[in-house]
Amino acid sequence: MRKDQSLGEYLRAQGVSRRGFLKFCSATASMMALPPSALAQVAEALENARRPSVIWLSFQECTGCTESLTRSHAPTVESLIFDAISLDYHHTLQAAAGHGAEEARMAAMEENAGEYLLVVDGSIPVGNPAYSTIAGISNLDMLKETAANAFAIVAVGTCAAFGGLPHADPNPTGAVAVSDIITDKPIINVSGCPPIPVVITGVLAHFLTFGAIPELDALGRPAAFFGQNIHDRCYRRPFYERGQFAETFDDEGARKGWCLYKLGCKGPTTYNACATLKWNAGTSFPIQSGHGCIGCSEPNFWDKGGFYNPISAGMWGSREALLGAAAAGAALGVGSALAARRRQKKAQGTEI
Amino acid sequence: MSSLDAIPVTAEVATGNVKPLLYEVRHALKRLANGEDGTVIDLRSIPLAPGEEERIEELLGKGEVRAELDALGPSVVQETSYPGVWLVTHSNTEQVVVGRFIEVTHMPELLKSQQADIEHGISRLEQELEN
Amino acid sequence: MTLLDFARGPGLQWSLIIMIVGLCWRVIGVFLGRWRKDLSRPRSDDLVQGGLRAIITRSAPAPELEKNIRFQHYTGYIWHIGFFMTVLLYEPHIAFFKSILGFGWPGLPSHLVVIPAAITLAVLVMLMIRRMIHPVMRLITRPDDYLSLIVIISALVTGLMAYAHMGPRYETMLALHFISVEILFIWIPFSKLAHMIFWLLSRYRIGTFFERKGVKA
Repeated sequence: MRKDQSLGEYLRAQGVSRRGFLKFCSATASMMALPPSALAQVAEALENARRPSVIWLSFQECTGCTESLTRSHAPTVESLIFDAISLDYHHTLQAAAGHGAEEARMAAMEENAGEYLLVVDGSIPVGNPAYSTIAGISNLDMLKETAANAFAIVAVGTCAAFGGLPHADPNPTGAVAVSDIITDKPIINVSGCPPIPVVITGVLAHFLTFGAIPELDALGRPAAFFGQNIHDRCYRRPFYERGQFAETFDDEGARKGWCLYKLGCKGPTTYNACATLKWNAGTSFPIQSGHGCIGCSEPNFWDKGGFYNPISAGMWGSREALLGAAAAGAALGVGSALAARRRQKKAQGTEI
Repeated sequence: MSSLDAIPVTAEVATGNVKPLLYEVRHALKRLANGEDGTVIDLRSIPLAPGEEERIEELLGKGEVRAELDALGPSVVQETSYPGVWLVTHSNTEQVVVGRFIEVTHMPELLKSQQADIEHGISRLEQELEN
Repeated sequence: MTLLDFARGPGLQWSLIIMIVGLCWRVIGVFLGRWRKDLSRPRSDDLVQGGLRAIITRSAPAPELEKNIRFQHYTGYIWHIGFFMTVLLYEPHIAFFKSILGFGWPGLPSHLVVIPAAITLAVLVMLMIRRMIHPVMRLITRPDDYLSLIVIISALVTGLMAYAHMGPRYETMLALHFISVEILFIWIPFSKLAHMIFWLLSRYRIGTFFERKGVKA
């Protein structure tokens, strides 16, 4: 697609009819969690949308976020959105390699200064920048350099948004999130491990449609997708209210689809769209498949006491510590009793 | 596969959203009958338990009109047994459902031929006639 | 670290440690204190039975005094029973105990536990107001009495608010509930709330004391 073509012109050149375009807009509006009444506005916006340059930097990551987004090679709505952007740099998807790839990145940054979208997945190691480098450039340097002239940054995945798995205790590489390094650009955190594909493309679609970043919550995540917690939208909620819990993964309760709170579900403290949008084009989500939510879109979800310990269980330490406390208390008791006896003996002068 | 099938799983859950949705449809139908605008309901925006979407389809039933579109993948526009209530299902070329809507209207927009396409067709026809 | 991480982590750890240190200190201290030697001849050798019996008999007021303390006594029972039902029969709480003790027990349907919780809260608030208004209660009330009431009431209020998803975001409300319970844990050994351990020991002691004298008390 030519850079100067609008999205509407591009789709028409691909042989997509107006009817097809309207179907595309209606599915896109649905993906952005916009009401159907916004269709006309979305259609007009997408008709005239320019093709933004997107640079995608992959740092300390597992590539799961890219996988989540690009699973299908057929023209799904998601991939059409992807087609509509000019993906000028992406390790997994680009054909170029080595110096050629880095030159392409620099060229894109210069040509689109101030207008390109920077997408980052993976955390950035600051403990020793040598832990993760690309073409000899540390992640830290590459992020700072590329972010300098970006319009906005999309931190895709919990690693980029909050540090993710590398950040988990004891954080050997000193992994940090994008927002810990870049503080002067708007950052959209699309967290999740991985994020739901439509959430990623919904954010890109929003950017395409409105040319601006969507409304964000306190953690910088798009409120449209991260505004509700899983618990409030979970179809198993009635079982939670009635106190019907599965105790193990194969008991009667589990077979009947009861609440997974006791098996460690972190739904009540996790904000994401899994319970409504679901995964694999609306097929299912972890709870529906019988496993509790692990809270993957929240910061530090790896260190919340374990995936299989309920939220109410707390992380209270060890039995040894409590036994030690009992011993210490007993010692104090003995000490104070002895002191009291001595005082009494002195006061009374005799052994009564 | 047989060992998986041997696990008896019976999930008996409901979000309770089926009835309210039908009430919304009734409200929209009354507005339509009064001459007001049609309504589109995005089924994806409402939390539904497994099986509830099928239940809604079952309750709405099938009417006299069924249209199949082929634009960026198949779409099906089915008038339900309640005239004015249409069930629109958009799929992509991989047969994956990308959108599901209930449209309460006289005729879903997508079934009408679009102005831009008509104009494009005129230029094609003129070219054809010149040859 | 979020508030909830603190509440579920170090907050819980240290409040439990402080509670255990405090309770062991007090109980051992009491046991190892000097007892005055009773030089009289014991009227009965069944001291243990006497002690155990007192634990049960002292659950009811002395018949002669009953009509004086009737109100305080029965409302006390109502809110204690309601409190135990709320704490011990609500499934998420049972999961909490199971993580510490290693075993759990069956609970009530969650939406029914709200009833004893609400009744307990109402009775406690009423008793607190009574304590502030009633002339005799005012004379004998100390800061410990008010603080103990407030600590228990905040645990109930935060718990009910978290259950109903009222107030701040759920994870904050849950953290506040955890913290209010942790304050309760810390307060227990150093206040009159330590009676939750001492009631058994005190009644037993009185029972053996009177049994030795040959009195059925």
